[in-house]
Amino acid sequence: MIAPLAYTKPRSLAEALELLQIAHSLPLAGGTDLLVELKKSNKRPALLVDLKGIPDLDELALTADRGLRIGANVTMNRLIESGELVSAFPALTDAAMTVGTDQIRNRATVGGNLCHASPSADLAPPLFVLDTQLVVASLQGERRIPISALWQGAKQNTLQPGELIVQIEVPWPGAAAKMAFLKKMRTAGHDLALVNMAGLLDPVQGRCRICIGGCACTPVLLPGTDTLYQESRDPDQLTARLLALAEATIVPIDDVRASARYRREIVAVFLQRLLKLLAVETKGWGRC
Amino acid sequence: MLNPLEQTIISLQLRVNGLPVQEDVPAQMTLLEFLRQRLRLTGAKEGCGSGECGACTVLLDGRPVNACLVLAAEANDAEIRTIEGEARDGRLTPLQQAFIEHGAIQCGFCTSGMVLSAQALLERNPHPGREEIVEAIAGHLCRCTGYVQIVEAIESVAGKGS
Ligand SMILES: Cc1cc2nc3c(=O)[nH]c(=O)nc-3n(C[C@H](O)[C@H](O)[C@H](O)COP(=O)(O)OP(=O)(O)OC[C@H]3O[C@@H](n4cnc5c(N)ncnc54)[C@H](O)[C@@H]3O)c2cc1C
Ligand code: FES
Ligand code: FES
Repeated sequence: MIAPLAYTKPRSLAEALELLQIAHSLPLAGGTDLLVELKKSNKRPALLVDLKGIPDLDELALTADRGLRIGANVTMNRLIESGELVSAFPALTDAAMTVGTDQIRNRATVGGNLCHASPSADLAPPLFVLDTQLVVASLQGERRIPISALWQGAKQNTLQPGELIVQIEVPWPGAAAKMAFLKKMRTAGHDLALVNMAGLLDPVQGRCRICIGGCACTPVLLPGTDTLYQESRDPDQLTARLLALAEATIVPIDDVRASARYRREIVAVFLQRLLKLLAVETKGWGRC
Repeated sequence: MLNPLEQTIISLQLRVNGLPVQEDVPAQMTLLEFLRQRLRLTGAKEGCGSGECGACTVLLDGRPVNACLVLAAEANDAEIRTIEGEARDGRLTPLQQAFIEHGAIQCGFCTSGMVLSAQALLERNPHPGREEIVEAIAGHLCRCTGYVQIVEAIESVAGKGS
């Protein structure tokens, strides 16, 4: 049972921002994280501000420069069902496809996935490696932050009360960039990730990005990987150096899903698998 | 304007199984509680209450959702379908009939949700392959049948291409 509260559904962003000034108000998107919390934790908001009536948050569009603009309220299933996106940003749609079940994906939004700030949020790794920017709105106006600045710690975001994520802006990485997403779960069916990982490799611009989720209190973008890649493109050497870097950067813990040691093993296996995929996987990026 | 903090009772208007419904509900009431307690539509079950089991699945504007994770207030203006609305004039749908013929029901706890998710899939895609069928019902736990009969029941209807 959820404790008594008030509920309102504004029809514009301005109205929502006004309502979020009220003490103990919280935004509600798909509710797949929030309702579970309201039932199981001692979170007791006085007012839920349902964001689903705000048209600005529903946009899903490829921009003129081939980037992607995702309104915070776009659901996982909307991402997956857009054929154009599947071919242009396959790692993102692959990640969205692994979120929960069909029922969850019909409700779960991109904004909610990021704002919940889980260390294993599945959309985080692909959006981190794509240099995603978030448009944050408040009564004071709009600001842009890199996606990595959203995580404060496990399930803690850096938004101030009264701030909303409005849009998620994903720049076009260029036709030569390849990308892949991997997720390890306890079962073959549906589960939160015990480790997830996305990588982006662009031989033309010399870019190499790896983001690992579930192995620290925030998703971890490995530092300095562009330089490593530019220094040596020999696959064996690059793999060895990235493995050492990952090993030194992650700080996994033991929890109900896996032990820290198992997570480290999976990271090593995934990293090697990811690099192979990035070297051979030609689907997607090149075709758009 | 009403003080937002006083909006603790919501005047709902929606359609349930094709019929208009109007009710005042507490803002914190879930769609599942609303259907079961207010409308006495007890086909949707509460298994886990947290999105894991699928026993509470109903269709919201044609899409399967976990009614335990939706507030009744969020269903304002929506079209809800529950298992009670599937059979018409006492006649089961071809999918319901197939569940019986394939032995896809034992205790029945998962069945209402399974049927609705499968029905939504077939309405979107009349000829789904086995993989699509499995994915569509992956959000439903069944502790009795072992799933094979359920997949076969859905496949038998998918094959007919009605
Ligand atoms: C059974 C189950 C399985 C799941 N499986 C997965 C999985 O495999 N992978 C995964 O990553 N997640 C999973 N989740 C978690 C959840 O479904 C996702 O994180 C989802 O994307 C959350 O989005 P939502 O719209 O439901 O968010 P909500 O629950 O509505 O909101 C989440 C939080 O973000 C805040 N918020 C929402 N929108 C905004 C905004 N625009 N601006 C500021 N704050 C906002 C809310 O106040 C709340 O604190 C699962 C959940 C369940 C119940
Ligand atoms: S009761 Fe809703 S998913 Fe289990
Ligand atoms: S028939 Fe008993 S849970 Fe599926």
